[in-house]
Amino acid sequence: MDWNAWSYLIFGTTLVVTFLWIIVHFYRPKRKNKVEEPKYKMLDDED
Amino acid sequence: MSLEAKPITFAILSVVVILIGTFVTMFLPLMLPSTQPVSDYIKPYTAVELEGRDIYIREGCNNCHTQTVRPLRTEVARYGEYSKPEEFAYDRPFLWGSRRNGPDLNRIGGKYPDSWHYVHFKDPQSMFPKSIMPAYAWLASRKLDTSYSYKKVSVLGYGYTEEEVNRQIQAYKAKVTSNSYAAKQARDAVTPPELRDQLTEMDALIAYMQKLGRDVKQLKEKEVVRHISQTAPDMIKNPYEGDSRAVEEGAKIFKNNCAACHGEDGSGGICPSLRDNVWKYGSTDQDLFVTISKGRPGGMPDWNNKLGTDNIWKVITYIRTLGEGR
Amino acid sequence: MKDNGYDYSVVRGFAFSALFWLIIGLVVGLWLAAEMVYPKLNLTPWLTFGRLRVVHTNGLAFGFGLAGIFACTYYILQRLTRTRIAFPGLARFHLYLFNIAIALAALSLFAGMNTSKEYAELEWPLDVVVVIMWVIFAINVFATLIKRKEKQMYISLWYIIAMTVTVAVLYIVNNLEVPVNLFKSYSIYAGANDANVEWWYGHNAVGFVFTVPILAMFYYFLPKSTNLPIYSHRLSIISFWSLVFGYLWTGAHHLMLTPLPEWIQTVGIAFSIFLIAPSWGSVVNGYYTLRGRWDLMRSNYLTKFFILGITFYGLQTVQGPTQGLRTLTAFFHYTDWVVGHVHMGTMGWVTMIISASLYYMIPRIYNRELYSVKLANVHFWLILIGQLLYTVTLWIAGIQQGAMWKATNPDGSLVYSFVEVVSAMYPYWYLRLIGGLIYFAGIVVFAYNLIMTARRGAETVSEAQPQTA
Repeated sequence: MDWNAWSYLIFGTTLVVTFLWIIVHFYRPKRKNKVEEPKYKMLDDED
Repeated sequence: MSLEAKPITFAILSVVVILIGTFVTMFLPLMLPSTQPVSDYIKPYTAVELEGRDIYIREGCNNCHTQTVRPLRTEVARYGEYSKPEEFAYDRPFLWGSRRNGPDLNRIGGKYPDSWHYVHFKDPQSMFPKSIMPAYAWLASRKLDTSYSYKKVSVLGYGYTEEEVNRQIQAYKAKVTSNSYAAKQARDAVTPPELRDQLTEMDALIAYMQKLGRDVKQLKEKEVVRHISQTAPDMIKNPYEGDSRAVEEGAKIFKNNCAACHGEDGSGGICPSLRDNVWKYGSTDQDLFVTISKGRPGGMPDWNNKLGTDNIWKVITYIRTLGEGR
Repeated sequence: MKDNGYDYSVVRGFAFSALFWLIIGLVVGLWLAAEMVYPKLNLTPWLTFGRLRVVHTNGLAFGFGLAGIFACTYYILQRLTRTRIAFPGLARFHLYLFNIAIALAALSLFAGMNTSKEYAELEWPLDVVVVIMWVIFAINVFATLIKRKEKQMYISLWYIIAMTVTVAVLYIVNNLEVPVNLFKSYSIYAGANDANVEWWYGHNAVGFVFTVPILAMFYYFLPKSTNLPIYSHRLSIISFWSLVFGYLWTGAHHLMLTPLPEWIQTVGIAFSIFLIAPSWGSVVNGYYTLRGRWDLMRSNYLTKFFILGITFYGLQTVQGPTQGLRTLTAFFHYTDWVVGHVHMGTMGWVTMIISASLYYMIPRIYNRELYSVKLANVHFWLILIGQLLYTVTLWIAGIQQGAMWKATNPDGSLVYSFVEVVSAMYPYWYLRLIGGLIYFAGIVVFAYNLIMTARRGAETVSEAQPQTA
């Protein structure tokens, strides 16, 4: 494989891995409460 | 503490994320010379053409006219040779546009004579009643401001000396103010008397119009002429001679494509009358065919791609019914 | 409302600035639509189509759009951080500078001082003013964020941060130019490069002015006005990162089949298709928020603005990538179709959401009920019908226009001259003008309703109760 093909491969793989990591990170069940907390908090401000 | 609780880190990360796509699709091409190649056959604008271009920008012409012919068959037929990257090496800013309320202008240079443009800018609806283009007659009552011309070409790095810039301006002024200027009548009709011996904004804009695509066209010209002179002998006879339906169809084609210059009834206007018995380039059907399909110097565009052989014969059939033109 | 020390004066200022520039921009737009069918309306040089179109786009995108965005940002920012704005004086200066800049922008564009680069037409002295204004805004955003009392940042704040940093990068890079004098400059990029930089900017102006901050409003005001939490904060986070990553790659879909290197075009369209996913992430999030509570579409007058708005956003983000595909762009590009496309986004999505956000904020800022919910409903239906008439008409016009441009005889020659195609468009352009007038009528009702709310709305306060229709 030439330089071009390698750079495509590395870049593509990095993107996929990063994307999967983001999903896994935010969707882990034990993080659920923390990640979802702001959506409830924003509703109960003073007015 | 997680990322969603650290605004500054978050902002920096956002910048990094947006810069990835920016780098690949924008910075990288900027650094590659192949994105905007430079070629010998494309010349920079003269000082007058550049002033015309700045008027084009000032009036926002790019909001209705594109300047890039796409490599599509019908587009090439309508406008001419498709646009090449090297043509734009001197375009700062680019003027490709995004909408065609009016036709593409990348190949307008040399398509029509100067007189066509003077008449058209003065009152587009006089040539095309359904045109939606604004009238720009007032450009002819404004003297061209050339006080920044030299500074402009210096900023753009066109490499002209101040003397060259002045010479270009004087030369173009001499051309359009001369009594032998082919478009004198049309120019005088729109230019107020006190500005007839000056350069006006309209003069500069027309200079710019005539520059668009000219260099590419000149490169192509020899080839095209040879091609048509080889095919012409095959078309010995007008297949529609005396056909009354062809006359009707020819009349319609004439109205939509030819009448703006040659007059509604063919009695002339910007371009010669087709009713008198004067034929500058020969009077046989074959002569007319060559004239229409490949164009003639001084203003006749080449209609071969746009109309096609069949329609050209129909138009000729119609022209033959006009006045003394028989 | 308790006195919690929030500074709303600048929110008020920007809200009514938005309203003012909205009316101006729409009047100019109507004039342009009329010029398309009565070219004689190009009465004076400064009223010619070429100059006026730029006043229309800048007036609405930046005069109305940005003012609405600033109003909502200053509001959302304070509420979500539970913190008074860091520098209220600076924010007020921002308000004055913004209105001066937009007024000068309009005047200079009327006068023909423009750089020709779409949505970046302002000449260099005004570019400098815009950058200063943006820095002032950014200082307030980040200072308020730093001293915030609420630790976790809700998704709307993410979008606000992304807008703040990205618009700065976009605007500065695209507007690099060499001055000739005070009123004239030349871009530092040439030809294909200038085109590429411009549409990198142009498309992301759509992304980070017409999408990102509007999503911030959507994610904040939809839950607030329905009292329902957003369906999934996690999904909004995934959508966020995909969106801000993907957007920057897509500018070249505006330059398909031009002399720009082919690979940039291909990358551009590939990422445009990719963007459908995060866009629909937000759409789905909006729809699912209402699960089991779709009755709110009838009983809560604001809900339908948000849901119709996000629906048009969803349609827009499918239509956009589709029309960028090579075979389709060959047909649709440069026709009225694209004008229809843009106006679905601006009239259907951006204006719907900003309108609804102002309806939410203004009564709360003035501590009273909205002047008339009935009028708000009239406003809704007028802008919905006006927008649909406008966009659907232009889609059909674009299809006919594209087909006529491409029509050939059996021998390969063209069937229609350019001006014949123009003549065929007149009926559509009349209809578009009518669509625009209906839309404008809706906006007049909107303006009246907000002004009356500010002047003499009912003096009662609803404690977190959504107003009912």
